[in-house]
Order: sequence, then C-alpha cells, then structure tokens
Amino acid sequence: MKRQIPALASLLVVAAVLCVLPFILSDYNIYLAAQVGIFFVAVLGLNILTGYTGQISIGHGAFMAIGGYTTAVMSRDHHTNLVVTMLMALAICFVVGLIVGLPALRFSGVYLALVTFALAVSVPFIPLQYSTFLGGVGGVTSSEEVSNLWIYVAAWTCSAISFLLAWLLLRGRLGRAFRAIRDSEIAAVASGVELPVYKTLAFGISAAYAGVAGSLFVLATNGFANPDEFGIFLSLQLLVGAAIAGLGSLWGILAGAAFVGLLPQVSSSVPVIGHDQGRDVVFGAAVILVMLLLPDGFAGLVARLRRLARA
Amino acid sequence: MQVNRRKLGALVCVLLATAAVAGGAAASHAGKTPGVSKHQILIGGTFPYSGPAALYKTIPTAEQAYYAYVNAKGGVHGRKIKDLAVNDEYNPAETVPAVKKLVEQNHVFAIVGSLGTAPGLATWKYLNTRHVPQVLLATGDAYWGKCVHRACPGAGSTSPKPWTMGWQPDYPGEARLYAKYILKHKPNAKIGVLYQDDAFGKNYLNGLKSGLGSHKSQIVDAQAYSVTDSGAVVGSHVVHIATSGADAFVIFATPSAAIAALATEGQIPNWHPLTINSNVAANPVFMRIAAKNGANPNGVLSTTYLSSATTQGDLPGMKLAKTIIHKYAPALDQQFASGDSNLVYGLAVGWTFVDGLRHAGKNPTRKSLMHALRTLNEKNNPFIYPGMSVKTSKKRNFPMQQLIFIKWSGGGTGDFHATGKVLNSGH
Repeated sequence: MKRQIPALASLLVVAAVLCVLPFILSDYNIYLAAQVGIFFVAVLGLNILTGYTGQISIGHGAFMAIGGYTTAVMSRDHHTNLVVTMLMALAICFVVGLIVGLPALRFSGVYLALVTFALAVSVPFIPLQYSTFLGGVGGVTSSEEVSNLWIYVAAWTCSAISFLLAWLLLRGRLGRAFRAIRDSEIAAVASGVELPVYKTLAFGISAAYAGVAGSLFVLATNGFANPDEFGIFLSLQLLVGAAIAGLGSLWGILAGAAFVGLLPQVSSSVPVIGHDQGRDVVFGAAVILVMLLLPDGFAGLVARLRRLARA
Repeated sequence: MQVNRRKLGALVCVLLATAAVAGGAAASHAGKTPGVSKHQILIGGTFPYSGPAALYKTIPTAEQAYYAYVNAKGGVHGRKIKDLAVNDEYNPAETVPAVKKLVEQNHVFAIVGSLGTAPGLATWKYLNTRHVPQVLLATGDAYWGKCVHRACPGAGSTSPKPWTMGWQPDYPGEARLYAKYILKHKPNAKIGVLYQDDAFGKNYLNGLKSGLGSHKSQIVDAQAYSVTDSGAVVGSHVVHIATSGADAFVIFATPSAAIAALATEGQIPNWHPLTINSNVAANPVFMRIAAKNGANPNGVLSTTYLSSATTQGDLPGMKLAKTIIHKYAPALDQQFASGDSNLVYGLAVGWTFVDGLRHAGKNPTRKSLMHALRTLNEKNNPFIYPGMSVKTSKKRNFPMQQLIFIKWSGGGTGDFHATGKVLNSGH
C-alpha cells in the first residue's frame, strides 16, 4: 500500500461494484457472490499468517469449523442474534488461535505445517465424540435460516471490515514485526521483536478471521453445521486461495477468494470430466498453472503490470 | 463454457463476469409449476459421484437409465423426465449450493432420491419452506417418516416437514427383525454387537435393543468403531467381542468396516457365531471381497427388500432391469451381472417416482405430486422383492416396511439366497 492513490481508487471501484451487484444479479448468483465474500475473509486471514508472518498453516479449516459450530450451537440453544454469534466465533477462535500458535514457537516450516495439519484432521471429530452437545454426525441446525441477500450483505460487510482492520494493523509496527519474523527470525529478535508475542498473535488474528468466515460459511449452508463440511480439503483450498492471492493486494485476495468460493460450482459444469471429477481436475490444473505462471500469486501479477505500465 | 474460460483465465474480472452471467440466468419459467413444461419435467438430486461415499454413484445412473427407458416409451402424460443429478461429494456444504442452484436457477419440479442423511438434513428446512418436494431420499434414518406431521426438535426440526419423504425401510425396524430372529432361533444366545459410532449405528443398536426387550441383557458386548477407523482397529473390536464369549455376532457397519469385521471373524480360531450383517453392507460384491480376505461368508444372515440380479435373474423384473441397464447405461453391464444391488435400488426408486408422477395428474403440481406420493399403493414395482409393496397413507409415512431374510452360501463365489417369508419391519 505504498502508492496510496491507485490503491484507494481500486478499493472504491470494488466497493462500488459490490454495492451494485445485488441489483443486477439473480438471487442464486447473489448467493455465489456471497460465497466469494466468505472466502475473502478466510483467505485474507490466512494471508496475514502465511504471507506476512511466514508461518504455514494447513489447518485453517479447523478454525472455520470452530467458528461455524459456535454460531450454529448458540443459535440452536439460545436463539442468539446471528451477528453476536459471529463476534463470539471471532473471540473463541482468537483464543484458540493463540493457543495453537504456541507450537509455532518451537516448530517451523514443514513441522509447523504438520502440527496444523493434525488440527485440521482432528477437529472435525470432536462433534462425533460429544454428540449430544455438538450433534454428532447429524449436525447442528441453527434456529434461523438466512436469505441469499442477507448472507451477501453480511459476508461483504465482514470482508470490508476485515480488510480495513488488516490494513490498519499491518501498516504499522505490528506489520513490520510480522514481516521481520518472516524474513529472518534471528534478525527480528536482534531488532527487539519479541517472537513469542508476535508469532502467537499472528496465529490468533488469523484464526479469528477464519472463525468469522466459518460462521458465515455455516450460515450459507442453511445454518447447518456438520463434520463433513470441514474436511481437510477445505484447509487445502484456503491455502491454495492464499497462494493465488499472493501478498497484500486487494485484487489478489479477490482472485484467491473467487477461486475457492466458485470452484465447486463452476467446475461441475466443465464438459466430460465435470460431473464426477471436475472439481479435482480443475483445482489441480489451476494450482499448477498459477504456480508456474504466477509464482507470486495475483499480487505479483498486479505488481508486474504496474511496472509494465510505468515503463 | 465461455463462462468457465473467462473465470479461469481472468479471475480478476470474476465479479463482473458473474454479473454478465446473471443476464442470461433469468431462465424461462414455463407455466405456473416450476420444472413442468409442455414436453418436459425437470427434476434434480444430489449424489456422491466422488469422495468418501462414491461407492453409491451407480444409484443416480440407474435412476437416469430408468427415466430414459420411460421417456423412450413416450414419457409420463406426454412429458419426458429430465434428471439433473449433481455431485455433492456427500458434503452438506456442497449440497446446499447445489440444491439452491437446482431450485433457484434450474427451477426443478422436485428434488428426487438425494443421497445421505446429513445432506438431507442440511436442505430439508430450505425445501419445505419453499414447498419443493424432497422425496424418495436414499437414506434409512427414521427422520424422513417421523417428522411429516410433527416437529422433531432432536433432528433440528422445529416444524413438521410435509414436503420430505424417504423410501427404503428404516434402520431400527430392520434391527428389530434381527432381534426377533435371534430370540427365535438361538434363544440363549450371547450377543456381541459391532456398530458405527454415529446416528446410523446407534439407530440400529437401539432398534436391536428394543426388539430384544427384556432380553437385552443378552448383549454381552457392544463395540463402537469410528467411520474413519482402519481395518485393523475394527478387527481389534471384533477380537474383543470374540473373547467376551458371544455366540451371535451382529454387524451394524458401512461396507468397508463390515468387510474388515467379517475378515477378522474368519481368522479367529474356533469362533463360529451366528453372524448378522445389516443390509447396508450386504451387497454380494462386498461379501466376495470379504471372502477373499479370509472371511467365511457361509451362513451370514442379512435382509433385503430388492430382487437380486444374480439369484433371481429369471424374474421378469430382473430381465427388464438387465435390458434397461444394457440399453441406457451399458458401462454398468458388468456391475449389474456381478449383483450390485445399488443398480436395482436406483431402478426401483425411479419406478416409484414415475408411478407417483403418473398419479399426480395430467398437469402435475408440486402439491399433487406430494399427494400422489403420500397415497402410493405399489404391489407391482418389478424391482423390489416379489410379494413386497410400496405403500403410503395418511398414517403411514415410511413407504417400504417389508424385508426378507437372506443367507449366504457357496463360499467366495457364492451368493445370498432368500430364506423364510416376507416380514413386516414397520412401526
């Protein structure tokens, strides 16, 4: 965000398009656009952790699960206002994220990835173990079902707030500390960055984002939370979304979120393979292409285009 | 296709692209009833074509083969049935967008035959508030029949679900028949149960207990396994049951765990209990795999409500089934010949839907379809077991309530053979 004016301009363009969309899209496409908004929040959160702080997580689906179940259970048992449940999901996931961040102090790279992987694998089984409270395989149904427009407005409002918050957080001292950790932990410590504080904080913030996304995700699934929704594939999708997004660009995160949010719908209409294996094939092919052509994600592409334009 | 390329090639423009799609998406509503046009009836459903439950993907193919057969004979009241079966990977988070698309974008007449309990629960409130029929669901949980006229808070349903119905016999009813069988043929049996640790397994276990009544203390060991446990873990539960002294072994498991359990049982020396394997895993194809891995399949008991393509190949219904599969889904010929009961299941459900549609009148509405399906009286569904019927009424919301015992003989190349009379598994 060095060049403030073009950044502000693109922000306004996106905001304007988002405001107009509900008036021109069909009801179902509003729902799809809402899915993109939901993953915008999650990918943005993961970006803070992976992109800015350099800590890999293949377990963000687990935080989405925790956020989603928080909303579903509170709505089922206490008919809590859905926005309140989202804030609750945010708070719970922030705390859980801090705790999960602890191993990050000792592990790094692949080993940290494995720890978070374990999280992604194990969390969906908790509801099966405590089936009276968390519904077991039968899931938890929240007391309210929201309309497509509701979820669209909620998802993109959350996206806007998340984006603004991330920008405010990262442009200052915190962002500098995160980037220092990513580039060299030793140098960061030498410059006075307290690793334990900032690493766990990065996990906490990122998990809180995922929690809100999970809450929205469950609301978009007719308010129904079930272990099958939060499989390991969800975590991988988020990671790929973050990779596609690249670092710190609104356009990149939009692209990553659109890829993750629209993939299941779009890929099933690919001819021949679409019906059975479309999602897996398109997913795999897209990952290879993006990594080959855009190693820095869409953010890298945008930067390159800017350089070209200036040249 | 153009849409795809745009979205994949230039993800940056995706929101604008979506807007462009929206223009074309204002699909034509023909007539008053969604999905019913002059020459076509459009229906939809969600199935696991890939993912953990992909074993069931032959079901929608068989259903579509049956519709193709009916269409070739002129359709129903002059309308051809078109079935948009969608892959949801058995994941409710994918079922919901898929069903929304079917209802809001494709404007289907009804959701027919969708597979799975969780996918069903994730969409039943949505479909019921919109008065979209959600019918002939491929799951044996009792929700679909119990919650028609009253709320089922336990299943997250705070209002009745009159637009939802199942098809196959429910699990507790089936388990009660096993209890009766044990009490009759082995009254002093010590019973060991292996069950899946979820709603499916527990429904079965509770049915068995209620069937045993005052004899339920005869259950000497009940072992729960988790759906993701490896074969070795399942096997260790079986060994536990064997050491408890059980001489009747009841398996309430999904296919892969049931195969592991049977294989372990066959390898434990001097243990030859009366073995019962629920109909969920009683596909001859699975039994042969178990035998290859060391199981002794002879004498294994189960139940069925479908005709068998292998042992009852001479029945007119099975001959018809063979012709339909051969003509409209030739890739599944081999599968059919090996006795895959999922194919017969799909044909039978297709038959019931067409039957309901015929009785829904010349100009069917969603309401008239529900009425027809709530007053079914099928004695001649050619694909279900001879002598059984598919029936519904105001008081009867479970369409199928009959089962017959089947017993395996012939070892690794053998098959199930029916034994005894058609029994009532009803409520």
